[in-house]
This record gives sequence, structure tokens and C-alpha cells, in this order.
Amino acid sequence: MTADIAATPTGAPALGEAGARKLPGFLNNPSVRRACIAIAAALIFWQLGATSHDWLGIGLPVVGHVPSPIAVLKAWHGLIGDPGYWESWYLSFTRVALGFAAATAIGVPFGLLLAMSRYFRGLAFPVFELLRPIPPLAWVPASIIFWPTQEMSIDFVIFLGAFYTIVLNVLGGAREIDPRLVQAARSMGASRWNIFRRLILPGVLPSICVGMEVAVGITWEVVVAAEMISGGGSGGNTASGGGLGFFIWNSYIGGSYPDIIVGMISIGIAGYLSSTLVRATAKRLMPWTRGR
Amino acid sequence: MADGSPESPGVDAVRHCIEAALPFKALTGGTLDALAQAAECIDLFAGEVLYEAGSAADCLYIVEFGVLRLEPIAKTGHPAASAVMRPGQAFGWIALAEQGLRRNRAVAVTPARLLRLCGSLILNLVRADPAVGRMSLEDLRAVLQAIQLSPGRDAVPGHAASPVGSVVKKPAAIEIGLFRVAQWFRSPAPYMMLLGYALLLGFWYLSVQVLKLPRFAQMPGLTAVLHEWFSKNPTYGVSIYTPVYYQHILVSLRRIGIAFALATGLGVPVGLMLGWSRVFKDYVFPLFEMLRPIPILAWVPLAIIMLPGSELPIIYLTFLASFFATALNTMLGVRSIDASYALAAECLGASRWQIFLHVVVPGALPFIFTGLQISVGVAWFSLVAAEMISGQFGLGYLINTSYTTVEYPTLVIAMFTLGIVGYLSSSLVRLAGMWLMSWRTRHLALGELR
Repeated sequence: MTADIAATPTGAPALGEAGARKLPGFLNNPSVRRACIAIAAALIFWQLGATSHDWLGIGLPVVGHVPSPIAVLKAWHGLIGDPGYWESWYLSFTRVALGFAAATAIGVPFGLLLAMSRYFRGLAFPVFELLRPIPPLAWVPASIIFWPTQEMSIDFVIFLGAFYTIVLNVLGGAREIDPRLVQAARSMGASRWNIFRRLILPGVLPSICVGMEVAVGITWEVVVAAEMISGGGSGGNTASGGGLGFFIWNSYIGGSYPDIIVGMISIGIAGYLSSTLVRATAKRLMPWTRGR
Repeated sequence: MADGSPESPGVDAVRHCIEAALPFKALTGGTLDALAQAAECIDLFAGEVLYEAGSAADCLYIVEFGVLRLEPIAKTGHPAASAVMRPGQAFGWIALAEQGLRRNRAVAVTPARLLRLCGSLILNLVRADPAVGRMSLEDLRAVLQAIQLSPGRDAVPGHAASPVGSVVKKPAAIEIGLFRVAQWFRSPAPYMMLLGYALLLGFWYLSVQVLKLPRFAQMPGLTAVLHEWFSKNPTYGVSIYTPVYYQHILVSLRRIGIAFALATGLGVPVGLMLGWSRVFKDYVFPLFEMLRPIPILAWVPLAIIMLPGSELPIIYLTFLASFFATALNTMLGVRSIDASYALAAECLGASRWQIFLHVVVPGALPFIFTGLQISVGVAWFSLVAAEMISGQFGLGYLINTSYTTVEYPTLVIAMFTLGIVGYLSSSLVRLAGMWLMSWRTRHLALGELR
């Protein structure tokens, strides 16, 4: 992605405008300015739409039912001091970390084994492909039946969600390796272990990291739903303290609608934080990709 | 020329000519000598017809010098359809298929000299050759097959040069497919696959029903699930013979269909605009990036509050997941196009709209289809969750109710059905993509694309 195709026909508007205006700092950049305008407009639309019942008399169809951004901010302010809210954060994070760590610990060796051994691939890959189309969330009830505690069943579903992605990425990365490299290494007398250590592993590492990054996103998707289904679905749960998915669901059941949006944004932030963390780790692991 | 006579060149020269032209690399010297002895030399003047289409094919020819043209019968005489034979090339292979008829007409373009070899003689000699054995006969069979596959051609080029303007008919898709299936059955893959499935099912059966391992014993067993699935009178009311099973499938499919169509109809244009117009991207992309980290399933309660009924929230959630995947991949697709294509089109006088239609859209198509594939996957993913949390019908709902009402075999049936339906729908999208982008598949196969 070296050149931006959109810039060519319009003729580089960035240069012309930046020199003429005398706005301070980052606002000189038209992209940033437009982003601010867009976000402000969206927030105003949301506020006006959400409160349309007050100033218009009738609520607008869709946004009319959404709590307004000001209400959300107020609710959030109240929750900042609530230890239950932070406990939800902590619980969701622990679950994601556990499921994700298990998926990485099992998925990476499994994927590498699939890539290295033709017999293992022939044996295990069709089974993997048979189970993969079943969405991880469809496993929730089965995993509740199987695992002794609810905690373990949620961890298992998170593990499943991340596992498929990581394995597929490892396998895809191994396929990208030029077979001539392997042949060259073999003809120069490299052992199987050497080929694996010096060639396959560094070759696959970028795909492993991409897979992990995607997988973290999926784990957050899964944790929310798993918490909602296993706890929220059956209804009775003790206040807050069951993870952010529980938090959202309980806010819905309890009728405190602004809290729903607080929970959504919190999960968004948590997901963003964890994928940034994974990306930073990936950069540390692969110093040679830092230049890109 | 050893004996000076133009009609009978030296046996060595003939032998060399045969060796170069015929695909029988493994022939022993004796056989080659015998062939060379039996070869007749014939001369043609320009315009002379060597044989007509439909005449009995009994001889094979090698061009020694001069040029001949082979004209197919049923063609309208289009020059591209005929093959040109040059020195060193052999034609008339149909003679090696016993009782064949000429499929084309051979005319000398310039004065030419040919070597004529009798087909039955070649066959007899090759069969008699001790060193040839199976291999060469298989070569021969391959040559004949090539002739059979290309009815317009009665010639196989020598290895020196390919005939100018010859038309090679591509084998039909069904032939390639059958060939691949046959190859697949010859490889260990299908047997390994069956073994893998057998191991999985065996583990399930043994751990749940035979050994009754601690946690496994409460899971539904393999035989119980299969019995329930294919029973005419299922214990829990859901099997392939009950209409309610198909009702669940249809409801889920309908939701996926609506959501996917909406997401594609909106996501592709939005993605194209995001990639194409910087201003549009500046305004819209930040909103995208703010909404995207929020997991789709965190929207469930809000969707229930925002939208009326129980059907709309589910469709909305499914749509949302698909929409992001489609729009973002389309945008990446547009951005992946080499800017020099757009510049070149502009230089050639294309309007903005023309560039959009002929450069941007086809250029982004591979990414769009990747996006659509991801989009189908995430659509099922969020549909199931949405149906499990709030729904009246559908496979996700079936999974959840069969859990709460302790109908465990039905739970497993619903899971597998979900897998099958999900797999089929993503295969459908993949097939549509391959069909729409057959040009790309071809280029990839020929190695012309990165």
C-alpha cells in the first residue's frame, strides 16, 4: 500500500490547504479535522436523537430508544468508583487471558505439526475441518454440560474461538514458505530439527502473530456472548461481578440502559488494549518486521 | 548422402530423423534401425494433397524438409485452425490407433520431402522391442489420448518447435474434475481422512458409552445422537423426518440471507467509497474505527432495546458483523490496486467514472470476495449467539432450548446441522467468487499474478 489511489484524481488537497490555514497543531491536518467533525456530528446526532422524545414530543424510530451520550457519561462517572465494575473488567480479562493462552499453547504446536508432517495432516486436518464450521458459541451448552464449573466452560469456549484461527494461520504461514528453501536446506545437510528451528519457525512467526491478533479479537467476541448465555440466559445472577458480558446483560435485565452502553464501550476499550498488547509483543518477537 | 540417390537418404540420417521426431526415447538401436529401414521417402510438390480427411489412416509422416499444412475438416477454413508442419515434426499419429480415419487434410505448402512409416509396422516393432516394455506403450497411449482429446488435430509437434497457429483444445472441466478425483483416490489422503474420522467417532463412542469416563458419561453418546437424528419417531421430536427440523434451518437461513444481502449491498459500496475517496474516508472511517472494537455480541441488549420485535434485532446483529467485514475488505481491496493502473487509465483519457468501473471495481474484486467469505462466517457466528439469547426459532434457539430442557441428543444434532449449513453457505460464496473471477484463477494458475 505505497500509494493512495484516491489522492491521484483529486490532486493532493492536503498540500494546498495546510499552508493557507493558521490552525494550531494537529488540526492543520485535514484528515484529523474531518475526523473530529465526523465524530462530533455523530455525537450530536446521537444526543439529539436519543432525547428526541423530550424536545420533539415523539421518539425517533431507532435512536429514540438509545440512552443519550450524556446519560452514558453520567452513568460511567458513577461506576468509576464501583469496585463491582472493575471486578467485571478483571474477570473478563482473566478469562480471555486463560482461554487465549491455552489456545496459543495448544494451537501453535498443533498447527506446526500439521504443517510439518504429511501423515498427521492427512489424519487430523479433515477432523479439524469437520468441527470448524460449528460456531464456538454453539458449544456453550455442551461445554456447560461437560465441564464441572461454569468458569471452565466459558474458558473452553474462548479457547475454541481462538484455537481455530491460530491453527489456520500457522498452517497458512507454513504453506507460504518457499519449498525451495526447505530443499536447499535439506541438500546442504540440515537435519529435520534444524529445518524446523531455522526455517519453518521464523517463517511462520509472522503468521502466528497475525493469527494471535485476530484471535484476541475473537476471544472478546466469545467472552461477551459466553457470559451472556451461560449467566444471563438463565437469568439469576448476583448483581455485578461476573465479567463485562454479565455486566451488560444485568444492566439490560435491571433496566439501567445507560450502563449497557458503558459496558459496550468498556469491552471495546478492553479489546483494543489487548490487541495492542499482542501487537507490541509480536513486534518484540520479530525485530526484523519493525521497519515496516 | 551416402549413396547419392535423393530418393533414399542414408539409413543413419533417417534413423536420426525418427529418433528426433518420435516420442519413443527408450527404443533400442535395433528397433530404430528397423524403423529406418522400413521408412519410405516421398516427395511432394507445392500444393499437392498428401491425404484427404476421412481416408484410411495407415501411415505416419515425418517432415524432412519443406512445409505442410493440416486443415481440419469441419472448420470454415480459418487459417488459425490449421496446423503447420515444419521439418523435424511428425504428424498423422492417428495411424497408430488401429482403424482410424484421417481427421484433416494434409497439403504441401512448399515442395517437401517426407518419411513415411507404416503404423502397424511401428506398433509391431515397438511391441517386440525388449527394452521398451510398458513404458513406451504408455507413452504411445498418452500420445493417442492427446489425439483423441483434440479432434481438430492429427499432429503432435516434435520437441523442437511447436507448430505455428495450432489450436490445443482445453480439456473440459468435467474431465479435469474426474481426473482429480481419480488422483485423489490413488493418494493416501482419503484413507487417512476416513481413519481420522473413525478415530474421532471411536473416541466419542468409547469415552461416552463404553468406558464411561468421569465427565464424558453425561454427554450424549454417538449412537444416541445418530439414532435420534435418523429416527422416524424421535424421542425428543427433532430428526430428519420431522418438519420442525427444517423449519429451524429455514428460519436461520432466512435471517442469514437477509442480513448477508443487506451487508453486501451496503458494505461493498461503502467500502469502495472508503477506498476511492479520501474525503469520504476521512469523515466515515473514524466512526468505523470507534464502533469496530465493540464486539458484535455486546450489541445484543442494545439491539433488543433499539429495534422492535424479536426478528429485527437478530437480523441487525448478523448484518452488523457481516457489514464490517465486507466494507473493510473492500476498502483494503481498493487500496491494494497499483496506483499506476489508475494513472495509466487517466492518461488514456478515461473519465473518473470509467476508472472506477474498469479499474477499481475489478481490482478490488478478489478482496471483496475474501471479505464476503469472512462475512458469511461471522454472520453465522453472531446469528447463533443472537438466536441463543433471544429468538423464537432457528438453530441457535434449538441449541439453547434443547440444553435448558435437557434434550441433549437434539443439542448435538443442532450443532452438527449448524456446521453443515454453515459450511455449505460459505462454499456457495466461494464458488460464486471463483465463477466471477475465473480470469484471476487462470492467471494465478499460469503464474502471471503475484
